[in-house]
Amino acid sequence: MEAKIISEHYTKDEFIGIDGYKKHGGYEQIANAFKMQPKEIIEMVKAAGLRGRGGAGFPTGMKWSFLPDNGEERYLLCNADEGEPGTFKDRKMMERAPHQLIEGMIISGYAVNSHKGYIYVRGEYRHIIELLEKAIKEAYDAGYLGKNIQGSGFDFDLDVYSGAGAYICGEETGMISSLEGYKGQPKLKPPFPAVQGYLKKPTIVNNVETLASVKYILRDGVEAYRKYGTEKSTGTKLFSVSGDVQRPGTYEVPLGYPLKQLIEEECGGLKPGRKLKAVIPGGSSAPILNAEEAYKVNMDYESLQSVGSMLGSGAVIVIDDTRCMVDLLDVTLHFYHHESCGQCTPCREGTGWINKIANKIVKGEGRVQDIDLLETVAKNMMGKTICALSDAAAMPTISFVQKFRDEFEFYVREGRSKVKGQTYAQVHG
Amino acid sequence: MLKCTVNGKEIEVAEGTMVIEAFKQAGEDIAHYCWHPGLSVAGVCRLCMIEVEGAPRLMIACNTQVTEGMVVSNNSAKVQEAVKWGLDFHLINHPLDCPICDQAGECGLQDQYMKFGQYDPEMAERKVKKRKVVDLGRKIVLDTERCILCSRCVRFTDEVTKTSELGIFNRGDRSEIGTHEDKPLDNDYAVNVVDICPVGALTSKDFRFKQRVWYLDNDSTVCNGCSTGCNVNVYYNEKGYFRVKPEHNKDINDYWMCDKGRNIFKHVNKESRLLKAMKKTEAGTQMMAPGAAAKDVASLVKNYSSEQVAFVFTGQYTNEEYDDAMMYVDKIGTKNVFHWVNNPESFDDFDGILLRGDKNPNTAGLIKALEAKSFNATWEQLEADLNSGKIKLLVLAGPELQEYFPDIQEKIQLFSKAEKLVVLSSNPNPAYRDVDYLIPMKTFVEKKGSFTNFAGTVQKIQKMRLVVSQALSLNEAMQLMAGDELQVGANL
Repeated sequence: MEAKIISEHYTKDEFIGIDGYKKHGGYEQIANAFKMQPKEIIEMVKAAGLRGRGGAGFPTGMKWSFLPDNGEERYLLCNADEGEPGTFKDRKMMERAPHQLIEGMIISGYAVNSHKGYIYVRGEYRHIIELLEKAIKEAYDAGYLGKNIQGSGFDFDLDVYSGAGAYICGEETGMISSLEGYKGQPKLKPPFPAVQGYLKKPTIVNNVETLASVKYILRDGVEAYRKYGTEKSTGTKLFSVSGDVQRPGTYEVPLGYPLKQLIEEECGGLKPGRKLKAVIPGGSSAPILNAEEAYKVNMDYESLQSVGSMLGSGAVIVIDDTRCMVDLLDVTLHFYHHESCGQCTPCREGTGWINKIANKIVKGEGRVQDIDLLETVAKNMMGKTICALSDAAAMPTISFVQKFRDEFEFYVREGRSKVKGQTYAQVHG
Repeated sequence: MLKCTVNGKEIEVAEGTMVIEAFKQAGEDIAHYCWHPGLSVAGVCRLCMIEVEGAPRLMIACNTQVTEGMVVSNNSAKVQEAVKWGLDFHLINHPLDCPICDQAGECGLQDQYMKFGQYDPEMAERKVKKRKVVDLGRKIVLDTERCILCSRCVRFTDEVTKTSELGIFNRGDRSEIGTHEDKPLDNDYAVNVVDICPVGALTSKDFRFKQRVWYLDNDSTVCNGCSTGCNVNVYYNEKGYFRVKPEHNKDINDYWMCDKGRNIFKHVNKESRLLKAMKKTEAGTQMMAPGAAAKDVASLVKNYSSEQVAFVFTGQYTNEEYDDAMMYVDKIGTKNVFHWVNNPESFDDFDGILLRGDKNPNTAGLIKALEAKSFNATWEQLEADLNSGKIKLLVLAGPELQEYFPDIQEKIQLFSKAEKLVVLSSNPNPAYRDVDYLIPMKTFVEKKGSFTNFAGTVQKIQKMRLVVSQALSLNEAMQLMAGDELQVGANL
């Protein structure tokens, strides 16, 4: 069963505007927050066990407590550069409830003692940028943003910043570089953004869903929040389900929800006559699961880790038996090759190399040794770079080759897809 | 101080030391392309991989600070494999055109390949094609295919010259170094990017294709282009001098030098030198051996009373030459000793990096030598004495770097008011056509000695193995002119 906490009112159009939002309890938690000390809110978020919803799953309260107590100006950045292939839950959240994010940011800003926030939105979400700008204006007009919010003495300004389409700007330090006006390239860590981030000032970067969740921790309390999810993966989470299911879409379920149930119940199962072949459980970077693994795993950080994959951004890509895995890997690697920022050598050169190998295989020109080479090159791209883009390209490569090796071997041997029975040219025209 | 163990060696390093510096300090090899001690840390080549005891994954030495008791190594199979692959990633799209590359012989990629590589390449795909022979301006040519995108050159123009001409354009394996809107890279320090380029991507127009580097010797000395006194390495072989590169000195020039200093070898080579002494006679110009000419001048000196003889010095000779020269001036007995200050209007200029307006390596040394003998005659006095005819014989210890003496013609006209004018010079000059004696001098690479820079720092210069001309040093010329014989084995 879905557990609609965050997305409870997403079906109502009135929830988009400030009046409708307030009608359903909107902005009530701000007053609640102002009654507390900022540190108490951080402790509450820690106790609730909230983990970053952007992909890495880092404990949010712990991230917040890394801020140095040096009196420096602090920034709160919302990462809305939702670029991980398969992910569209932030889009849904901002389309259906822009004020929910704004309220979450005001509370979080108060908790981390920041007076300036930015929402960094991916460039392709043009309509969302307009929506957010409108909502921010409404919030200013209603006195929820700006100076001395609701007489609390707390000031918080909020702006929207448009990305320009680079996947790498979803990496928090890449995003900071971009926001600073530089080329969107990740920065070396240390220093971490909490110590030295935007404009070299202490900075917190949180995902849209993370920030919105803070409101519900305040509203319902730690106990109620922890009722959902597992011991280590608490609360509910929005999953973007796409691919070969009857009803793709965004679903909010408690963490720890069985993947099988999510596919078969919420999403209405596979199309008639199709068989499940594989699932990418956490966005295109997450190692792929075969059908057997997919149907025994639960959607939480630990369960997915135990089968060698990850929850990532919560983008579930369902693949049925009509799909060619070689073809899918080729498309995936084209993406990472295109998006590598080019800073670190293993990623810059490696993403191009494995993309070329995969492409050669689908063009029917692959060599037998290319299959092992794909895996070897990918393994040597892992854990070698400033950010995780290199790993993000390597992980699908390794898991595709290991779990669907027969399809790769067939392709190399026959010059055509094992699943489609046709060549690349025949399939793609 | 912090204790740490580097590849089993226990060392002590200063607080704040990066692991890569600790490796250097311990004398342990560590591969790196993007790290440069004079620039900020980029951490992008990913070659300086290390294993830190207790850390789960490999780290980069350039961005890891040494902590007390840290045990770090780069000789395990795990690290070696990572470095091997790091090198391979650098090479897969590199053109491997070493036979026609100017960097061959001093290339970071070649060095690493000999250490970690020597295998057959596994890359069977087409290499990425990029721009070749990109003209970056008057001094530098770029080959973007050879470039390994270490970003040293970009950081240099951002951090040292703060001119930011260079950037990395595009992304992924399409990334290329370039200048904004194809504007030239044309600052006074641009050639440093050629030195710090670990591969053959940036080459100097002046040096490229001139010599294979393994046919060159080099010796360190001090740049004589201005009063900063940058430490430099001069590269030469039996065919002549070919290039100058900076040598690290944290107190003087750090890792850099200016582009003007790159030319200080040009006047040294044989084709531009004064090889024989010349004496003006009624029958025309008579060629002589330098020593014979100086002895001739000695007999001239005797013909005049000491107050009729004057000496003009430039700040282009060594402390040792000045000391001896003043001794012989003393012996001759004149107080008519003058300091020719070139470009007085810009003499005190400084560009904030290295370039100083005083275009002499040893003005401070000359002033000290003059003061030691209380020679304090003014330039006005020289002009007056020449105009009045009081000075009959003038000996000019002329500049080695004539380009910094733009008023040479004008000054020679002034000096010619004396009955006899003797010019000591390493190189000919149209202005010297009618002087009575022109005696060849050694250049700064042909003699030992020292220069005192603007801050009073005394630095030694070296006599290199290639001496292109039979010429005299200033002290030898002065000794002969004072009527003494040269000792055999004197400072030649």
